[in-house]
Amino acid sequence: MFPELFDTAPLRRAIDDGLDWLIATWGEGFEAAASPLQWTLNTIEQGLLALPWWALIAILTGLALLATRKPALPLVVAAAMLFLGVLGLWEDAIKTMALMLTATLGTIVVAIPLGVAMSGSALLRRVLTPVLDLMQTMPSFVYLIPAVMVFGPGRVPAVLATMIYAAPPLMRLTDLGLRLVDPDVLEAGWSFGMTRGQRLLKIQVPLALPTIFAGINQATMMSLSMVVIASMIGAGGLGYQVLQGIGRLEVSRGLLAGLGIVALAIVFDRVTQAFGRRLQQRLGVTDFKP
Amino acid sequence: MRPHVKLAALALAAFLAAVAAQAATAAECETDRTIDIAEMGWPSAAALARVHAVILAKGYGCRVALVPGDTVPTLAAMVAKGEPALAPELWPNASKEAWEKGLAAGKVVDLGPAIAEGLVQGWYIPTYVAEANPGLRSVEDLPRYWQLFKDPDDPGKGRFVSCPPGWACEIMDANFFKAYGLGDTFNLFSPGSAGALDATIAQAFLRREPIVFYYWGPTAMMGRFPMTRLEMAPFDEAKFACIGDAACANPEKTDFVVPDAVKAAASWLPQEAPTVVEYLRKASLTNAEIGRILAWGEENKADAEAVAENFLRTEEAIWTGWVPAEIAAAVTAGLD
Repeated sequence: MFPELFDTAPLRRAIDDGLDWLIATWGEGFEAAASPLQWTLNTIEQGLLALPWWALIAILTGLALLATRKPALPLVVAAAMLFLGVLGLWEDAIKTMALMLTATLGTIVVAIPLGVAMSGSALLRRVLTPVLDLMQTMPSFVYLIPAVMVFGPGRVPAVLATMIYAAPPLMRLTDLGLRLVDPDVLEAGWSFGMTRGQRLLKIQVPLALPTIFAGINQATMMSLSMVVIASMIGAGGLGYQVLQGIGRLEVSRGLLAGLGIVALAIVFDRVTQAFGRRLQQRLGVTDFKP
Repeated sequence: MRPHVKLAALALAAFLAAVAAQAATAAECETDRTIDIAEMGWPSAAALARVHAVILAKGYGCRVALVPGDTVPTLAAMVAKGEPALAPELWPNASKEAWEKGLAAGKVVDLGPAIAEGLVQGWYIPTYVAEANPGLRSVEDLPRYWQLFKDPDDPGKGRFVSCPPGWACEIMDANFFKAYGLGDTFNLFSPGSAGALDATIAQAFLRREPIVFYYWGPTAMMGRFPMTRLEMAPFDEAKFACIGDAACANPEKTDFVVPDAVKAAASWLPQEAPTVVEYLRKASLTNAEIGRILAWGEENKADAEAVAENFLRTEEAIWTGWVPAEIAAAVTAGLD
């Protein structure tokens, strides 16, 4: 046994009391800061729920058709969505989809600019890399419960926790994609008198798009994988069905909801991948596999 | 004697003394099977599991193992496989059907109350909300006060914080919700897990905001945050039976049953280890005692193991009454 150098109880009490103080004094501020997320989430969810089921299937199938121009993927997408509907998981699937889309949107808004900044500054990269490692390895329950205490239960802390989990791969891939751009091309831009911003937006970002798209695909998948954990803090949706299945020993309920999550994952993974490939073909860049 | 011989003799003597001490302290366990004790997620049950584990291991010399548990799965496993052998604090009402079937089939036995009196469950509001709104006294009043409890996900309704999925109270809350006609003014919100339920309540209390939620006691939360129970219609056994049924077609107004928390054992335990079971039957705490134990744990940020050790060290007056004197001595010796 490691010798007890000092009693950790006072330290832990200080942390707990600090959190209590934070909530009592700044709670409203935090909630206000998170209100754009809440608004986005409510809007997306209400929008999706207002759509008739066939319209949503038609839109997703249409997107798949647009991305591949072949019948295989649209058929898979339509089948996966019908599967969700037939099994009575439609509403839960929509809720999960809204959560995932909001988290992915939030991740894109936060992670891509940070990734761009990382690619431009070695110092920032050196500072952020360990932070990203921490975000990816810290067990999510550690920050989920304090997030509930700060933001209230429900979907806002769930979206935030999902963003913490999903942002690192997108940040890393954005940074990597931008840095992998051929220096000769950049130099050509330089010699034509392009400004820093022009080089970023007109050379680096377009050439890095396939890599960034791979990052978005990763972020989408990681958001979906947080679904069950997020429902442990009241996010609802398919994850909640899984939890209920476990809690009541209804294996069937858990299994069906689990398969529903798989169906959603297939839809979003394949569609975003297909768009990524299409982008690559259009730009004529070589395939990049992270 | 030459020095090294002396040393060897000394070592031998020490060894023999240790063996003798071992023999004197640990009694022979009545069963060869490992007694696995379900350690439930909430503090009182976890502390009780640890207390029993120490007494059975140090006092009765049994092989014990602690396994994580929860009401429904633990009871199901106990009925089906006889494992875990012991659930130190089981709320039978939370899984009534399985419990009664298990009792009738002789798969589980009821070893009497784990907490002797003072158990409560119901719908609660913070006491500061009750004081500020004298008109809000019962569940019937909730529809008139829904705006106090606005649901951020759906601001047109109030939010009632129910139980995590899989808990029996989740079904009861849903049925009470129907019985009291709250669907037009409230949303039933599931916090997803015990941790999130507590965090939700703690957040509201720390910010002195209104919240209406299900809770039960004795618990550390109830000790920490002053809460007021909302009144309900008088208790009626037949109506409550329907409330506890997920398939209840027409739930009617009634109250929660006064809960009981028992020690449940797999039926092989009393057959193979009668004296251990004799101890278990006696081991029961009152609400005040549990409250004191949990408050110490809360104050010292102690885990269940430390809470149990502190209980065994400081509350000897309570637990030495459960066991014969020589077992008590062995437990005390084993603590050091």
